[in-house]
Amino acid sequence: MGVVKESQSRISDGVEKNQLIVIALLAPLATFFGVLWFVPLGYSIWSSFFSNPLGASEFVGLSNYVTIITSNDFLYFLWNSVLFAVSTTLLCLLVGLFFALVVNRVIVGGSVLRTLMVFPYLLPTVVVVFLWQFLLDQNLGLVNRLLLDLGLISAPIAFFGDVSLAMPSIVAASVWKWGSFAFFILLANLQAIPQEYFERAKVQGASQWQQFRDITFPHLRGAILLILLVRGVWMFNKFDVIWLTTRGGPAGVTTTLPIRVYDLAIRLGRFGQGTALAVIMFLLLSMVGVVYFTVLNPEEEVAG
Amino acid sequence: MFERVLGGPGGLIPNAVQKRVWNVALYVIALLVVIFVLTPLYLMIVVAVQSPETLFSGGQLTLIPPKLSLDNFRTLIEQTPTVSYFVNSVIITGSSVFLSTALAVISGYSLTRFDLTGKSIIARIVLFSYMISPIVLAIPLYVIFFRLGLLNQYISAILAVTAISAPFSIWLMWQYFQNIPIAYEESAWTRGASRWRAARDIVLPLARPGYISVAIFAFAVAWNDYTMVRIVLNDQALYPLTVGSELIFQEVFVGWGEQMSMMLIMSFPPFLVAAFLQNYLLQGFNLGHG
Amino acid sequence: MGKTITLDGITKEFGSIVAVNDVSLTIPKNEFVTLVGPSGSGKTTLLRVISGLETPTSGRITIGDKDVTDETPQDRPLSMVFQNIALYPHMSCRENINYGLKIHGVPTDERNERAEEAARSLQIADQLDKNPSELSGGQQQRVALGRAFVEDPEILLLDEPMSDLDAKLKEELRVEFQRLHRELDATFVYVTHDQNEAMTMSDKIAVMRSGSVEQFDTPETIFHDPVSEHVATFIGTPSTNVLDCEVDGDVARTESAAIQLPETASNEDRVRVGIRPQYLSVGGGEIAFDVAIDVIEPLGIDYVVHTTTVEGDKEVNVVTEEVSDLEPGDTITVGVSLENIYLFTADGQRIRAPTARQTEV
Repeated sequence: MGVVKESQSRISDGVEKNQLIVIALLAPLATFFGVLWFVPLGYSIWSSFFSNPLGASEFVGLSNYVTIITSNDFLYFLWNSVLFAVSTTLLCLLVGLFFALVVNRVIVGGSVLRTLMVFPYLLPTVVVVFLWQFLLDQNLGLVNRLLLDLGLISAPIAFFGDVSLAMPSIVAASVWKWGSFAFFILLANLQAIPQEYFERAKVQGASQWQQFRDITFPHLRGAILLILLVRGVWMFNKFDVIWLTTRGGPAGVTTTLPIRVYDLAIRLGRFGQGTALAVIMFLLLSMVGVVYFTVLNPEEEVAG
Repeated sequence: MFERVLGGPGGLIPNAVQKRVWNVALYVIALLVVIFVLTPLYLMIVVAVQSPETLFSGGQLTLIPPKLSLDNFRTLIEQTPTVSYFVNSVIITGSSVFLSTALAVISGYSLTRFDLTGKSIIARIVLFSYMISPIVLAIPLYVIFFRLGLLNQYISAILAVTAISAPFSIWLMWQYFQNIPIAYEESAWTRGASRWRAARDIVLPLARPGYISVAIFAFAVAWNDYTMVRIVLNDQALYPLTVGSELIFQEVFVGWGEQMSMMLIMSFPPFLVAAFLQNYLLQGFNLGHG
Repeated sequence: MGKTITLDGITKEFGSIVAVNDVSLTIPKNEFVTLVGPSGSGKTTLLRVISGLETPTSGRITIGDKDVTDETPQDRPLSMVFQNIALYPHMSCRENINYGLKIHGVPTDERNERAEEAARSLQIADQLDKNPSELSGGQQQRVALGRAFVEDPEILLLDEPMSDLDAKLKEELRVEFQRLHRELDATFVYVTHDQNEAMTMSDKIAVMRSGSVEQFDTPETIFHDPVSEHVATFIGTPSTNVLDCEVDGDVARTESAAIQLPETASNEDRVRVGIRPQYLSVGGGEIAFDVAIDVIEPLGIDYVVHTTTVEGDKEVNVVTEEVSDLEPGDTITVGVSLENIYLFTADGQRIRAPTARQTEV
């Protein structure tokens, strides 16, 4: 009864006779975005054209941008960001997919497993970080203990302090927390596939693999694409996981662009450069945003 | 592809074998899920409820404690500002949830009920803001609040955190209101109800699952936030648990046990939310893809 | 107790789309008037303009003797039944019925009494405390009617209330609507695309097309004396057969028949003739032609014989009771008397002979 999209059912003015009401109800939205988004972002962009914008400021045009882009670290930090975003997202997707496939089929205890998967998502990032630091701790961590007992290593490893293991460790912690997100979306989509499709396939002789490839996977494609793009961007922007574990070290190996922005703006006091990097990040992501919109057209879901 | 090997009729690996492999894999993976998820959680609890003596007796972490104790919690509560940090978390989170939800409901209603030019632009702006890193917003907010002298007030933390949760909340409620037909209100209007009356009696009750999902999302963002608060608040007395715990951990007398207890305390309200409101949580996932 | 609704030059535009085009109509008080037409004819928009949910781009509306053009729906003395029923899912049926009274401050006891009375009258008394989702489509519609009943309005507007229901339910509810009309003693304005509903329930019908009212008359007049080809083909099942004619002097030729044209048609060089299936008889008539039978459809007592004309290869339907000698594949002659045909100009206007029946509009 009555699930009707406005544009399908009838043409309507939607005119509220009292214009005041319309303005009053839309004012909060406008004010919110104006004050908390446009103003700070505008200010950022403005500051990026000055050196020392918080003190004795001096207009320098694009020189902050040039400095950043030409610094020998920039591409390295950008690479770190991309690496972190891509590996975390892909692993989240794989973990989520496998777990979703399992939970979808396991009858006994399926809902218990599902509830279990909610926990990582709920825990504050601070807690997740701490737990993993504890797990991977050099002296007391369970992982080191296990590896030593199994004879796989001869001396404990400082995971977060190791130049080649720091990033993977952070990725592991991130996947632990955010894999459940992919899990829930994929599970919901899986459960929405009508059983009749599988029944017909079985009758026609399709194997497990063929069923997965031809029925399951196409139905999940939309969700997978969504997860890849949305979470990919979100991971690119992540600050807290990395900051809390390694502060961007050791030796800049886990420094991503958000960390660098913080370093520049707050720690090193180069506010102009910090905001310039923030603008660069924004531009990079805008390009991704444009791709996202042309491919997926999400505003059709609300305004269409 | 893979037809010759994995195809159904006539493939190299017969379907029966595939099925068997798959069933075994199912239970192996299920087991892995349990281990994967439970291990850190178990650790958290087991460490938190041991007194310092039993924790590392024998030079290694005790995994099955001989006895349980609440010493760690006592230390935290009595000797550190944990309680006041907890209160701060509650204040900041509560206010932010209220703000975010109210904004989402009013905006969602207005965007679906009034004819506006540029709705698709508004949609894009809302989505775009979801893609901007919190750090990119936090830094100029810091400067602005500094200039306004608000760095030592709750309001800056509340606003900063709401800025992060609001775009997606608005998006969710916008979609949700799309599915509440205007015919319901028109029916009420033709019977004499004013717009406000119709909204209160009919629209709001029907929107309830939606705004509860939104409130849960806003709660998760606010309670867990570290980035925004860390940058935007200067006054340590106002720190919520996420940021304040860092300070506490610098104290000499705070060891692993106490630290884990802190983690448990921080996790407690989210668990409560999950326990009582799980259905709404999942609805939110389904509706808005998180 | 009902009121007259006067529409004066109502036009409603949505951007560049003209949904209602200069409609002037007087709906007499206490009558059951149906606005009927295909999708996009503007009938729903016109109803919404009357209700106040849409504001006309130009024109005035008067209810009784009061100009209500600028008034909100809340202030107009009317009640409305919606297409998608619009029962509030979070309220029980009783509360749904009561809601209008609640708004107007009627005390609880009285509200419940009136709700029960309405429910009894509509045979849904046992469903009162259930939720709408537990009811069938027909029962839900009765609840919607119960709302209208209880509010005792002077005007009741109904927007395609039966479009989601199956044929049997429609039959039952048609009777209910008419009964309600008598009991409430109100002016009913009913919108539908189903000409059957229009013909069976209304005192007067307004046939609409592309935003204008083509004809506003009693059902009988509309059936027997349509003002245009559109009205003739839209009203009546099976619809009127229409054949193209070539004009040769003062005679129109179609198939193997020749029709004498009245003087009023002298300027036309192309003419169309409309013949209702019910007026065609097997065997011949004043105007006769040959057809080949395709399918014979039994309707109970009547039969619809679907044929194709021999000369022009046009579909022609005949309604008759006598089919004992007829078989698909046969070629037969059918005919109609001159007074039972309709003549139309090339653009659909009815050409009337001076001696044809005239009616007041």
